[in-house]
Amino acid sequence: MSSNSPKPNNRTILLFFFFFISLIFPFFLPVFVNSSRTLSLHKSKLRFDDGQNLTFLWPLPSQFTSGNQTLTVDPNLSFVFSGNGGRSSYIVEEAFQRYKNIIFKYSSKVSKSGVVYDLQKLNVIVHSDNDELQLGVDESYSLLVAKNYEHSIIGEITIEANSVYGALRGLETLSQLCVFDYGAKTVLVFKAPWFIQDKPRFEFRGLSLDTSRHYYPVDVIKQVIESMSYAKLNVFHWHILDEESFPLEVPRYPNLWRGAYTKWERYTVEDAQEIVSFAKMRGINVMAEVDVPGHAESWGKGYPDLWPSSSCTEPLDVSKNFTFDVISGILADMREIFPFKLFHLGGDEVNTDCWNSTPHVKQWLQDHNMTTKDAYQYFVLRAQEIALSHNWTPVNWEETFNAFPSKLNPQTVVHNWLGPGVCPKAVAKGFRCIFSNQGVWYLDHLDVPWDDVYFAEPLEGIKDASEQQLVLGGEVCMWSETADPSNAQQTIWPRAAAAAERLWSNRDATSATDTNSSTLNRLEYFRCLLTRRGIPAAPVRNHYGRSPPTGPGSCYVQ
Amino acid sequence: MGRKGVQKIFLGILLVNVLVISVADVDKKRLNIWPMPVSVSYGRDRLYLSNEFELKTDGSKYSDASGILKDAFFSLLDVIKGDHVIEVNASSLDPSLVIKGIQVVILSPSDELQHGVDETYKLSVPVQGNPIYAYVEAQTVYGALHGLQTFSQVCRFNFATRVIEVYQAPWTIFDQPRFSYRGLLIDTSRHFLPLPVIKKVIDSMTYAKLNVLHWHIVDTQSFPLEIPSYPKLWNGAYSSSERYTMDEAAEIVRYAQRRGIHVLAEIDVPGHAQSWGFGYPSLWPSTNCTQPLDVSNNFTFKVIDGILSDFSKVFKYRFVHLGGDEVDTSCWTSTPHISKWLKKKGFNASEAYQYFVLKAQQIALSHGYEIINWEETFNNFGSKLSRKTVVHNWLGGGVAQRVVAAGLRCIVSNQDKWYLDHLDATWQDFYSNEPLTNITKPEQQALVIGGEVCMWGEHIDGSDIEQTIWPRAAAAAERLWTPYDNLAKNPREVTSRLAHFRCLLNRRGVAAAPVSGPGRVAPEEPGSCYSQ
Repeated sequence: MSSNSPKPNNRTILLFFFFFISLIFPFFLPVFVNSSRTLSLHKSKLRFDDGQNLTFLWPLPSQFTSGNQTLTVDPNLSFVFSGNGGRSSYIVEEAFQRYKNIIFKYSSKVSKSGVVYDLQKLNVIVHSDNDELQLGVDESYSLLVAKNYEHSIIGEITIEANSVYGALRGLETLSQLCVFDYGAKTVLVFKAPWFIQDKPRFEFRGLSLDTSRHYYPVDVIKQVIESMSYAKLNVFHWHILDEESFPLEVPRYPNLWRGAYTKWERYTVEDAQEIVSFAKMRGINVMAEVDVPGHAESWGKGYPDLWPSSSCTEPLDVSKNFTFDVISGILADMREIFPFKLFHLGGDEVNTDCWNSTPHVKQWLQDHNMTTKDAYQYFVLRAQEIALSHNWTPVNWEETFNAFPSKLNPQTVVHNWLGPGVCPKAVAKGFRCIFSNQGVWYLDHLDVPWDDVYFAEPLEGIKDASEQQLVLGGEVCMWSETADPSNAQQTIWPRAAAAAERLWSNRDATSATDTNSSTLNRLEYFRCLLTRRGIPAAPVRNHYGRSPPTGPGSCYVQ
Repeated sequence: MGRKGVQKIFLGILLVNVLVISVADVDKKRLNIWPMPVSVSYGRDRLYLSNEFELKTDGSKYSDASGILKDAFFSLLDVIKGDHVIEVNASSLDPSLVIKGIQVVILSPSDELQHGVDETYKLSVPVQGNPIYAYVEAQTVYGALHGLQTFSQVCRFNFATRVIEVYQAPWTIFDQPRFSYRGLLIDTSRHFLPLPVIKKVIDSMTYAKLNVLHWHIVDTQSFPLEIPSYPKLWNGAYSSSERYTMDEAAEIVRYAQRRGIHVLAEIDVPGHAQSWGFGYPSLWPSTNCTQPLDVSNNFTFKVIDGILSDFSKVFKYRFVHLGGDEVDTSCWTSTPHISKWLKKKGFNASEAYQYFVLKAQQIALSHGYEIINWEETFNNFGSKLSRKTVVHNWLGGGVAQRVVAAGLRCIVSNQDKWYLDHLDATWQDFYSNEPLTNITKPEQQALVIGGEVCMWGEHIDGSDIEQTIWPRAAAAAERLWTPYDNLAKNPREVTSRLAHFRCLLNRRGVAAAPVSGPGRVAPEEPGSCYSQ
């Protein structure tokens, strides 16, 4: 489904560099192999190791080779942008400053006098000047890290990408190669030269956050989005509203956010726009959700007419045009905030009792000769029409597909959650699908350890290549009944990272069970990287998500 | 605008606003400031912060060459904006209600942070002026920082109008701490805490006006800190990257100092020091009996001297913590060369423990430090301790009264109430723990320099430290800051104000746990932050 497939001719510059290196270092063979064989995954459990074995990448790139040199990185690393992507360069420039802070967080920010660093310059080459972030945007990149020899035209660090968003992924990988060495007090790259060619396996790599069951301040949402970029996740699915609270401002229906818990637990339109633009700078799309008709009780605090009756308040009143006017108004306002192509309309867990038991709704059903099931379908399809009229592709939870698959708009993306085996059915009927099987990818299920998350395969049971193409990817879900700003991050991490590698890296590299222990080491390393960046990721080895370390010990073995 | 002008304005307020509530019978239920100040009066007006809200220092004797005040002012703007987009077009606002900035007048030119530094401040927010300025007056810049913190708590973002408003104006607040030592312990030996995590802990301490970060750097499990005099000591780190360079330690001290927070460094000798021997095995009695440090070996004290010498260049606080708790001397009696040494000296094991602690005290004194030791040292040989010793209580209640009766100073941290790793200790326990229990004589009360909540790290790392500390540490912070008479006799009276403070922490990106329930609980069900 990738709309911007990489253009091979744009890759020539780095490839040329790479073969040039091979000529200089005949001993260094350019072998592109399954990464787990070239990356040394022996991890020292010694109290005092030399750090040489601690270069780990997460998620694993699709192709890479490394050498045996150790290179120093200049704290005054300079940045040179080239290629045709000038108009979008602001995104990489800002990212470069961000990553500079990450890479040199633990070391002096200034070069030591008299020291000649091996790596002094970062070249970023971006071919496209289109800065539009969309589903399927080209996220591929090449990264070369090699010493700059005299008379050589070889770049020191070079990232080449078709889009600016590919360059962001390359910067993240580069930051993971840079290790602060406490002995040398310098940032080093071990096992250079590195040559990496990388691209994601799935175009949709999501994390959802539910801001209705508990409110998350803007600052906390930004922390979550920032941490997503470390794992190369690219869709922030914002489950903004639900029955408990309605925190978002909707200018066309200004009473709706009366459904917020308090006046202080709200998002203005500008807050939401700020979140979208913050995410975009990190190559992350924001997919908004309005979960109708079942999860919408809070709407009625501002507009009680949306309730079937004041004593029976959910689902939304299917019999009133006003209900659809409000949905239309919300979507019109949201369209000005959320540029992403996909829009989530929910549609799950609809209990239609209120429709049957409320006289005027029941009368309406009779007048229209509808069962409650028919009315559910009518509601979902009418909401889909509204989304389509705003040029949105509707995403719906799987119940809609399970209940009336042939009626759904063919553009619909089916969002699996109830269990395994749904995406195979959806793609067999020609629908696109997002995998979120709650048994493995619901982060609020604390009894799912990291390896169950890791080995969940979105293409399970789908053999046909054209059907596989219809699986856009997957998403881990952070429902917030028992999560809030005090514990969401450690519930999300490190398990979301396990799913992130599943969604990014080659299937064969992530599926062999004999890589289990080395994968665990790499994930532990990534978890420590998160904590070193200030993200409170929980210990990896604990069976229960979000549980504290069981005893004293190194971060790298917990 | 000098002080006289401000007083005139206050007079004006009193005349025009009859709703100013008197200081004594202030309606605390309507206040959401944490910790509660010494005296507060407030009104019912609402003011708005100008988009060009500015810092003014006219009349201040403090030059702010180090930029402490300026940085604090920008941090203040950050936390009150809370990442919201503020309405740029404020033309709809009544200009007479706009606060143009904050004037900070500091009387002392010095920004030296020392124990007992004057932390007093006055804060006022008048409702009249042309234009209106909020006003902070303090003896030192550190008092002024507290004033800015309090100001940040009377500001809030109005979602409907997109402006920052000051509610319940006019405000007049006078404030100073009850105790000069208001501590929080972190333990970087049982688990390594990355630098950004420590900095965030320091930031969050400032919100609750805590002022001592007790850094329990080293223990049995790991030795993460670089010691230039003995460069192999940090071989005892868990791994090559779970370490602090001395530059990083200096950075932590500097970061804390600029926020008015002292850093109290600890080496816990002789009992909690096994990790020292990974770099220097001769510090162990033997390779199979590795703790306490070898009392018979002069090298042991040379290493302590080297560490404290390196410390004295970086840790500028008046005190150093020498530990001295939980010393199991069986390795000394069972190791031949040490038991021989004991006989030669005529020491039993308990005398050797005393010998060790006192010798370490002498070394610390020679480097210009006063000493803090855990209470076992006092319980075993209190009369022998240096008179410059501060006894750090932890085992239980009732210790402080014995310590001050003996004429020594004391810090209260009784584990049943103020150990944060005791998850069953509730915030109400933290709030109700009174350091001066059964101490009535003023000269003895003065010897209790304060208290400290302890975040031991056996089950704490970068993933769960914030929600284990907060909000319970805040409950203790009010106990340590607020005058006794202003403290709630029944903690239930402050539940809603504490919940409010917890939501403030969340808004500022600090993962403070729900107030309902014991330590570090997840919210039980969906709901508003303010009611959990």
